[in-house]
Amino acid sequence: MESTNYLKIKEMKKQYLIYLLITVLLAIVSSCKQTHQYKALIITGQNEHNWQVSSEAIKQILEETDMFSPVIMVAPAKGEDISGFNPDFNNYNLVVLDYKGNALSETVSTDLDDYVNNGGGLIYYCSKSDMVFSESDSVDITDRSDFEVNVIADNHPVLNELPKKWIQPEDVLEKTLKYDEDYEVLATGVIGSSYASFRDTSYVPTIEPVLLAKNSGKGRVLIIMFGAPDEKENNALHSVGFIITLQRGAEWVASGDVTQEVPYDFPTAAGATLRPDFKGINYSEALEKLGSYDITRSTKYYTFLQNEIRNAAGDENKLLKLEKDMVRILKGTQTTNEAKKLILRELSWMGSDYCIPVIESLESNPELSDNVEFALTRLQK
Amino acid sequence: MEEKTSRRNFIRRSSAAAAGLFILPEIIPASAMGMNGRKAPSDRIVMGAIGTGSQGTSNMRDFLNLKESVQFVAVCDVDTNHLERAKRTVDNANKNSDCRIYGDFREFLEKEKLDAVSIALPDHWHGIIYTEAIKKKLHVYGEKPICRTIEDGQIIVEAVKKNNIIWQTGSWQRSLTNFRRGAELVINGRAGKITYIEVGLPDGGRGIGTPPVMEIPPELNWEMWLGPAPGVPYRGVCHWDWRWILDYSGGQLTDWAGHHVDIANWGVGLEHTGPVEISGKGVYPQEGLYNVPVEYDILCRYANGIEMRIANASRLEHGMGTTWYGDRGWIHTNRGNILNASDPEILKEVIGEEEIHLYKSENHWQDFIDSVRSGTQAIAPIEPAYRAISVALLGEIAMTTGQTIKWDPVNETIINNEKASRLLKRPYRKPWSLPTI
Repeated sequence: MESTNYLKIKEMKKQYLIYLLITVLLAIVSSCKQTHQYKALIITGQNEHNWQVSSEAIKQILEETDMFSPVIMVAPAKGEDISGFNPDFNNYNLVVLDYKGNALSETVSTDLDDYVNNGGGLIYYCSKSDMVFSESDSVDITDRSDFEVNVIADNHPVLNELPKKWIQPEDVLEKTLKYDEDYEVLATGVIGSSYASFRDTSYVPTIEPVLLAKNSGKGRVLIIMFGAPDEKENNALHSVGFIITLQRGAEWVASGDVTQEVPYDFPTAAGATLRPDFKGINYSEALEKLGSYDITRSTKYYTFLQNEIRNAAGDENKLLKLEKDMVRILKGTQTTNEAKKLILRELSWMGSDYCIPVIESLESNPELSDNVEFALTRLQK
Repeated sequence: MEEKTSRRNFIRRSSAAAAGLFILPEIIPASAMGMNGRKAPSDRIVMGAIGTGSQGTSNMRDFLNLKESVQFVAVCDVDTNHLERAKRTVDNANKNSDCRIYGDFREFLEKEKLDAVSIALPDHWHGIIYTEAIKKKLHVYGEKPICRTIEDGQIIVEAVKKNNIIWQTGSWQRSLTNFRRGAELVINGRAGKITYIEVGLPDGGRGIGTPPVMEIPPELNWEMWLGPAPGVPYRGVCHWDWRWILDYSGGQLTDWAGHHVDIANWGVGLEHTGPVEISGKGVYPQEGLYNVPVEYDILCRYANGIEMRIANASRLEHGMGTTWYGDRGWIHTNRGNILNASDPEILKEVIGEEEIHLYKSENHWQDFIDSVRSGTQAIAPIEPAYRAISVALLGEIAMTTGQTIKWDPVNETIINNEKASRLLKRPYRKPWSLPTI
């Protein structure tokens, strides 16, 4: 009996230990979740675009960084009494103004200035600073079209390491934007790319500032003049160029530094890229989607894989792991021929003996015969 | 009557050529011996053109502007629209309708008895067609970049040396005053000892999407256009836009390295060697067929310690062109007759008689013809062209692998990196293969 009791006690102790372990783990996990360093306030309620859509999008985009805990605060609707609207900015590290409409009270204006001067971060989204607090005059904007964002201040933390030119899709440029002299223009929007003017020297592009920044007291202010929805979510809002600029810009105004890495899918001068759900993708998702690649669709999952290969920088173990995953896709019964062609091209230079039997097994597929031969020749088999 | 006579003269000349002139290309035509005045047709350099798209036509017009020095007699292209336009140009110049046309370069090279050929093709065809033309002992005016891969380049260089022909690369910036003057100031130490060079090339442009598969237009021999490149259905991406697809080109980087890297090398005497270490980072599109890097930033180190950065112009302080940095200042040169220096006084310096005087040419096409006549090397020989493009091609390999590439510029091999070495060549699609020499 004694020994049974002893075993029971031992068992209870074991259970207790497991509970304890789970509790500790939960505490760690929840504390991890609480590592969002910065509190963010999104002020909205009136705007020329659909602010319900944009403010919710901004919230999701900030949440994606795992750095910000954002809340949305809706100001009184157009024409309503706005005097009682008086947010306490000092509870936040970041304030995003997605607001253009009835003038906010002078108190709010002063509070906001004090907040920035005392070290707060402020982003004006799709409106410039001197127009926020007054009824807007009509501004001249271009029709919606793709434009090229040209980086001017490539050493600025927000833009450092990003491509120097990239396409912002189906968006508008505000013409002859007026802004305070103490702002630095970080990037311009150009309709009629430099490439178009390269081919036709008589072409005069439209160029307007789209990203501006300044330091003010201990704080920082950023103006982002792109990425607005119209009535509903659109490509301008889903643009990876906009999403990443907002995420990096938010970190910069909140902290003075940017620690986020440039993602695999940042757009280029050759074309825009989109994140319809505002989320980036991870490795397993990229591999899964690569298998269903169709030549008319984005090659972003392939680019993701290529980035992984480049990041391996010749490390044989990492390359072999990637090779095995690529071989798994090659073997997949649902994998498209177009996806196989892309993978064969990569394996042709970074593959080892491991991939050869699978590549040889594809020789009978007439649509792949050239690609198989190309790969095997390079692999010297 | 006059037309007939000149044609007869031409034929007689061709026979003479077939009989032996081309076996001894160093034979000097009479016109180079100081005989002035109107040249007899037999003194003209008889040329043909392979590739008569925009660049090929432009080169042909530049040759035809030399008037009586040159006579074109045959053109070759896989697009009959190009071919007909080129034939009209030649016939107008010759005031006859005799220009012969070919859709297959093999037949062109087999049948035509020429002194020289002007070649302007998509890069993926250079390895085969340059080499075959050289093997026929034709003097070649060939467009840059001279090769799509290092292996293609090695064969072409070897073929030129072995067949002892005159080669002129289409790197015509060498024949402009500002570029030569800049390089000459630098090589004579006017910016001091050069430690660093920046080369700015164009940013990548807008994408081309993925057009649907379409019917091959009747004027185009698509299969022949593709040649050794992977077989793909026709989507209307062909002339001009081939530049944005890796199977045919390396993009703006490889297109322009043949100009501004070439000038950079010229100024520091690195024309016959290559870097020993290359690293780089590219930005690649994610939409459509466009898959060459739109942005690129490559750093090379040479054995003598010089570092060269090659990047898309938006990344560099001086933008497009070549900037040499020495311990006494910098010198920058670019198209548009641009020649600047950290101190304007540098630009006023006189190069003394005992100092280095770089080869002087004021007309790139005339220089080629003069070299063919005299049998002496032209201003833009094959090896400097190969060395200029190999910098870009090694940069491409560094960007693809994410690795720092160690290059042996003497044996022309990548050191200790078997996987990166595979990228020195691109397999050819059957039945095509890189010619042996």
